[in-house]
Amino acid sequence: MDIFNQLGEIIVNLFRDSGLCSLSWENYVMIAISFILMFLAIKKQYEPLLLLPIAFGMMLVNIFPGIMGNPSTTLMTEQQVIAAGFDPSSYTTTVFEGVTYYNVTQNGGLFYYLYQGVHLGIFPPLIFLGIGAMTDFGPLIANPKSFILGAAAQIGIFITFIGAILLGFMPKEAGSIAIIGGADGPTAIFVTSQLSPELLGPIAVAAYSYMALVPIIQPPIMKLLTTKKERSIVMEQLRPVSKLEKILFPIVVVVLVAILLPDAAPLVGMLMLGNLFKESGVVERIAKTAQNELMNIVTIFLGVTVGATASGTLFLTPKTLGIIALGLIAFCLGTACGVLFGKIMCWATHGKVNPLIGSAGVSAVPMAARISQKVGQEENPANFLLMHAMGPNVAGVIGSAVAAGVLISVLK
Amino acid sequence: MKNIELALTLLIAGFVIVFVVLILLIVIITLYGKIIQSAQNAVSNKREKKLAQNKENTEKSAVKAIVREDIEEDDGEIPEEIIAVIAAAVDAVYGNKPHKIKNIKRSRSIRSSWGNAGIAENTKPF
Repeated sequence: MDIFNQLGEIIVNLFRDSGLCSLSWENYVMIAISFILMFLAIKKQYEPLLLLPIAFGMMLVNIFPGIMGNPSTTLMTEQQVIAAGFDPSSYTTTVFEGVTYYNVTQNGGLFYYLYQGVHLGIFPPLIFLGIGAMTDFGPLIANPKSFILGAAAQIGIFITFIGAILLGFMPKEAGSIAIIGGADGPTAIFVTSQLSPELLGPIAVAAYSYMALVPIIQPPIMKLLTTKKERSIVMEQLRPVSKLEKILFPIVVVVLVAILLPDAAPLVGMLMLGNLFKESGVVERIAKTAQNELMNIVTIFLGVTVGATASGTLFLTPKTLGIIALGLIAFCLGTACGVLFGKIMCWATHGKVNPLIGSAGVSAVPMAARISQKVGQEENPANFLLMHAMGPNVAGVIGSAVAAGVLISVLK
Repeated sequence: MKNIELALTLLIAGFVIVFVVLILLIVIITLYGKIIQSAQNAVSNKREKKLAQNKENTEKSAVKAIVREDIEEDDGEIPEEIIAVIAAAVDAVYGNKPHKIKNIKRSRSIRSSWGNAGIAENTKPF
């Protein structure tokens, strides 16, 4: 009979410990959301490299919240330590009101430790290192005026900041939400980890979702703000850029940006270091590691741990809805400002610039540039805007890092 | 009210700082681009002059090479190997039909048709 009682007890304990008893309805909703995100990543291939680990991290943390648990220390008496089967000599002691307690430490969950790379702002600059090693700044060097479009697309960030303040968000939260308009995942995560880490989950999910939805969000705005004639403009071919110019570019950018805006130095510095690896041609092995192995490893850790910040009780709040709405507004405003500045440049150059390349100023490399190409080719199939759009696109990466530096330096 | 003031300040400061930094970059990159280009042009001009001088000297001393009469070289810049390849390509297209290459000139377009084909292939939208 004892065997049956023990078996019953084990089954009851297992049931108590299982998710069926410990999970709340919010967790189940989040698990359902993670399934939708996984579907979008696998079936629709929306930013799968990040959306898939984010969705999986989200699912795991809502099934087993302990995976993100902080390390803890419990004060136990000697008897309690022995009863728990621990060796008292392994622990330090604390004397409280004449009684000696042992500091029994318990390790945190796996994701807690991996998350430190996000929390301490380590992963986003490492991702930027890889992006730098993969990016060709040639189109931007050939046509430096593209920087104007990269800057214009950041205006949405600062306008959204006002909107977020008006909706009742605190300045630090508003800054984190507004940076979604930069359409740059690592930058959004970096700024949020510095200003309001508690919003990291919804902001990362919103930022990557909108980046994945670039082909749906941008074209209507681009078409609305341009005429058929403007969209048909064929741009002159870019001049070839010498190797020396490409080597000097990252050095010049990092010196100027880091001196003027030190808070942007981690992002811009690593971006340019990666690019110098690539362009110098003397550290091919390192460049390849930065753009492949390192980037992939960091992407896995960043994705799953950012997803793991989206636990049900933290994510399913009215704030999240506000973040998602404001993020979309920021993104649309960035696109619109880029296109409008493209129109100004078109007017100023007497029709030599196709305004469609302005929308690529929102980063989201290289998707935003491909959208400029696609919308341009709908009007004129012989028009190749891709390389022209890559200029504002990579300028947008630098622009959003500069905007991030401004937000951090003012709000931190 | 205090937060709105902060928001407006940040809007103006952010706008100005982002534009100032990126305009500074435009100026610097344009400047160094021009300096490097002019320096490289000077070097390549020198090299071209040297090459032209060497060619003149060798042409004077050596017997003039016989090039097929029906092919005019464009400023003598098209190497014979390229002419051979073009002739072979034309021959492959026309086969047994009677044909004659009258002239081979460099295309004025900087991007070759192969380049155009490559770009079209790689930029096909989704």
